[in-house]
Amino acid sequence: MNLLRLLLVFAKIGAVVFGGGFVMIPLIQREVVQHYGWLTQQQFVDAIALGQITPGPILISATFIGYKVQGMAGAVVATLAVFLPSFLMTVVAARHLPRLRRDPRVAGFLRGVLAAVVAMLVMAALTIGRATLWFDWRLLLLACAALVLLVRWKVDAVYVVIGAGAAGFLLERG
Amino acid sequence: MSEAPWDARPAPTAGLPQLAGVMLKVGATGFGMGMVGVLQQEAVTRRAWLRQEEFADGLALANLLPGPIAVDAAVYVGYKLRGWIGATVCLLALLVPAFAIMLGLTIGYLHYGQVPQLHGVFRGLNAAVVALVLAVAYRVGKSSLRSAPQVALAAVALGAALLHADPMTLVLACGVIGALLLIPRPKVTP
Repeated sequence: MNLLRLLLVFAKIGAVVFGGGFVMIPLIQREVVQHYGWLTQQQFVDAIALGQITPGPILISATFIGYKVQGMAGAVVATLAVFLPSFLMTVVAARHLPRLRRDPRVAGFLRGVLAAVVAMLVMAALTIGRATLWFDWRLLLLACAALVLLVRWKVDAVYVVIGAGAAGFLLERG
Repeated sequence: MSEAPWDARPAPTAGLPQLAGVMLKVGATGFGMGMVGVLQQEAVTRRAWLRQEEFADGLALANLLPGPIAVDAAVYVGYKLRGWIGATVCLLALLVPAFAIMLGLTIGYLHYGQVPQLHGVFRGLNAAVVALVLAVAYRVGKSSLRSAPQVALAAVALGAALLHADPMTLVLACGVIGALLLIPRPKVTP
């Protein structure tokens, strides 16, 4: 029963992750943390962080959640389900690409979706930040430094994540 | 780097094992969007399976559709070369390294995640994730929000999100609004 639910939830999420994998954050949070209570907020944020230091797509965080819910079978089902919708759409749309690219309604739809994506990313940062950084100015400072490294100097995300993990380890000990 | 000689020859055939091998490599060495670079290097530059324009078409398609761009592009490459089977092989091979590593990390986390020495590490990682998400928001916003109505729509969407609107409904509703109101003006064509 849980497997079927995992399949449906992750296929639903996979169908609307426009504009890169990060949009999954509010979607997964709504379903997995708030609705089904499969993960705590902290575990959810940690799952996202682990997805960052794993090569491959960020959406691979689905593996973590699937495993937590239903072991190995859950991991396989959640991972395949989250990639299934875009897989099908890519294969089907590949033949109609020229027409899709010319269709002004498709372009309009995408403009609208991307506006929502930006809003949801800001919202995701606020939600995670409020849960984890708000009460610790050192972590807030660390996040600001990471943001500057990413945006201003275009440092690779992997290094920023690993560096922040190391910094957090040192802060906790010191 | 001259590309002309490659166009003169017939495109090298890509067997399923070769496709799988390349995608395993892309999945194991690329992080997030970094995979696109590795994929392009392998499929276009090194093996000349696709011409640069064909690959760019794949990226355009990946941008139109949901799903990570690199994954969609890999599926497109597989489909172009070997049809449905090629697409399936590419998707699965691309996911295997990430899946295996993530599974290992998950099991480790569930066993040792409560170890006090690791608390600091995860708090640091949280800070990085917040920064990453904001950086992506900035990047997507800068490249995709190109008109005042679009920015206004993003602001309304943020307001709705703050009021706990359902994220999935929000994405689709904004898409529909866009399809109705944000249609690009037709270019004057002769």
